[in-house]
Amino acid sequence: MVDTFHYLMAGFAAAATPTNLTFAFIGCFLGTLIGVLPGIGPAAGTAILIPLTFQLDATGAIIMLAAIYYGAMYGGTITSVLINVPGEAASVITCLDGHAMAKKGRAGAALGIAAIGSFIGGVIATVLLVVVATPLSRLALSFGPPEFFALMIVGLVLVTSLAGNSLIAGILMTVTGLLISLIGLDPVRGAPRFTFGLPELFDGLGFIPVVMGLFGVGEILATAEKPYREVIKTNLRGLIPSRDEWHRSMGAIWRGTGLGFFLGLIPGVGAIIPTFMSYILEKRLSKHPETFGTGAIEGVAGPETANNSYANGSMVPLLTLGIPSSPTIAVLMGAFIINGLTPGPLLFQERPDLVWAVIASFFIGNVLLLILNLPLVGLWAKILEIPYQYICAGTLLFCIIGAYSINQSIFDLWVMLGCGIIGYLLRKLNFPLAPLVLGLILGPQIEKSMRTSLEMSAGDFSIFVTRPLSASLLALAVVILAFAAMQYAPKEIRDPNAD
Amino acid sequence: MRLLRLAMAVTAVALVATHVSAPASAQQYPTRPINMIVSFPAGGSTDIGARVVAGLAEKILGQPIVVVNRGGAGGQVGWTELARAKPDGYTIGFLNLPATNTTILDPERQAIFNEGSFTPIANQVLDPGVIWVAANSPYKTLKDLLDAAKAKPGTIRAATTGILSDDHLAILMVEEVNPGVNFRIVHLLGGAAQMKETLGGNIDVSFDNVGGIVPQVKSGQVRALAVMDTERSKFLPDVPTTKELGMPTVISSSTRGIGGPKGMDPAVVKKLQDVFSQAMKDPDHVKRLEDAGLAIKIMVGDEYVKYYNETHEKAKKYTEWAKNRPQK
Repeated sequence: MVDTFHYLMAGFAAAATPTNLTFAFIGCFLGTLIGVLPGIGPAAGTAILIPLTFQLDATGAIIMLAAIYYGAMYGGTITSVLINVPGEAASVITCLDGHAMAKKGRAGAALGIAAIGSFIGGVIATVLLVVVATPLSRLALSFGPPEFFALMIVGLVLVTSLAGNSLIAGILMTVTGLLISLIGLDPVRGAPRFTFGLPELFDGLGFIPVVMGLFGVGEILATAEKPYREVIKTNLRGLIPSRDEWHRSMGAIWRGTGLGFFLGLIPGVGAIIPTFMSYILEKRLSKHPETFGTGAIEGVAGPETANNSYANGSMVPLLTLGIPSSPTIAVLMGAFIINGLTPGPLLFQERPDLVWAVIASFFIGNVLLLILNLPLVGLWAKILEIPYQYICAGTLLFCIIGAYSINQSIFDLWVMLGCGIIGYLLRKLNFPLAPLVLGLILGPQIEKSMRTSLEMSAGDFSIFVTRPLSASLLALAVVILAFAAMQYAPKEIRDPNAD
Repeated sequence: MRLLRLAMAVTAVALVATHVSAPASAQQYPTRPINMIVSFPAGGSTDIGARVVAGLAEKILGQPIVVVNRGGAGGQVGWTELARAKPDGYTIGFLNLPATNTTILDPERQAIFNEGSFTPIANQVLDPGVIWVAANSPYKTLKDLLDAAKAKPGTIRAATTGILSDDHLAILMVEEVNPGVNFRIVHLLGGAAQMKETLGGNIDVSFDNVGGIVPQVKSGQVRALAVMDTERSKFLPDVPTTKELGMPTVISSSTRGIGGPKGMDPAVVKKLQDVFSQAMKDPDHVKRLEDAGLAIKIMVGDEYVKYYNETHEKAKKYTEWAKNRPQK
């Protein structure tokens, strides 16, 4: 422990040199920018910059690339809140309450709490990384395909919390999401499914074009049919969260931190699932679940904290085992390797100077991001004062560039526009969008982990219930489902003594 | 600097697009930037190798080489685009053998390209296959593993990095020469998933390539049982080869090389071969790739064409077999 502290202090000394501070700053700035721009995600953003790092010293290069990764988690919030377009995938859920807050003139508070929550999540996850990384990473390895499957099933039954007024509508949307996720190559056999012979569909419908269409374009269409929209005025007091908002957010921030870090330890979860789980958890725990979707600040604070905590937590499997847990981390691992470093347990012994400088830079980077983001909140909120017809055109242009830039594909544009019309219709018919997105995310994960599990057991389904962790998670799913059924059951069954 | 050059490249492309220029002759080639398609997402090992060699080759060539990632469908999306490109030398790309071959050979994949759709130009990397287990595994040697697989057929869980990957074919090669050996094949998506499940005890043995496991061998987390090559890998000098172990037909590798669409001007191909072999011999290229555990194997001209054709024939046999093998 004393050793760790000593190393960390030496790390701070190394990370705080003017050169490395500059790299951290450049990384944070580029990360925020990548977060704001839809389309280019952190994985592509870091990959493009790898050749640039050949000329740099390894420590500086890795500090910069890592900062881009967690910086993007800050930036992604901004467009979700302001124009209902997620800047990167992990900010989809923020659209629900973040944008609703913006419409009420609370954009500043939403952005402020997201930045503060992200800061707390990032810093605490880094502390946990320092303190408990090695023992926990071993534990996470026992999370095999059957456990992964069970966890995803828990996620799936939690969707009832996102359903809104009608459980049937929620289930319908989830199933639609799951069905859409089947489009593309079969993940195990490689056979095309529902692709109509179009190679563009081999990878399925792109997640970003779909959500930008459903949320961004759908929102434009829904607003455009109204003859006139009031300009949203945000006064200076609206920029900071009120006392009540603070109070409601703190619990969400702590829980989001824990959830994000824990899920970050398990390779393969991805940054989106922690945000959804955090949102659902907050809604479950809230005394006023009905406010979710209409601008509940907990629905912004929790998920935005969770994705940052996840980003720093997912460094654990990389640094302790040499396993990249997401595409962006894989790029980062590539940067280590190409600089002659091998991530894994030996790295702590061979290059403690570098590892600890990088870890120290996570603290510094999170402070930089807070400093970078908070003053900008006022500026971002001002954007909403632009008359809507201009915002509307700007948003559409922004979505088009974003969807196109992912694969330079016109096909993705059509997907986005098609989903925009569907998103508009679903809104008119009062169908909730979040369950559809969750189905879309969970579908491939459930399928892949289930089929791998069955390959492991030679087709025997008992593998899911004979492993303790998997069995417990599945039992939890059954309990959640039972509770949900009670909640939606006719009143006489729920409470026989009523009336 | 690179971004500036990229910006200039974009400007150049825009200028060319506005003029309907006559096709430039081979002597003048190249007169504009070249696109290099990588059929895998940015940051993968094919991508890293491509970016290193592109950075060096563009200096020799005098025109920018823009790496374009067209990931998806196990490489099929990128190869489809490469096969459809104009054979003017301005679109080249990476071929990954035998993954490109098995994509062609598996009828389920419905590939619109075939083995004649590409012009092999220059090979960059040959990464031999390796059979490995977690450090705490009871199997100390390949013989231990094969004995166990023979004693209890269909129970030893062996992971590939994907269906019809070179690793999948390698499992079949091992089964072929060891009658009675039958693995329970589990298809995982890529090397990272394989590493996680094998270290976590959900998989008994993994088939991958040397480049994927060198860091973990060094750190003592995994044990390599055999390298599927005729000579020992310089990255794993203590690990015996399958040839040494009496299995000379169990030879498997994954290669990455540069190719173009069919019908390219031979003079252009020659120019690219010269440029890329020079870039690949550059000390910077050698060091970067070797740090990443990737063995450089430069093959150009007839040698690469011959290798390409042989790989295709070999892949054909095992792909058919893989499609018909009952999973026990």
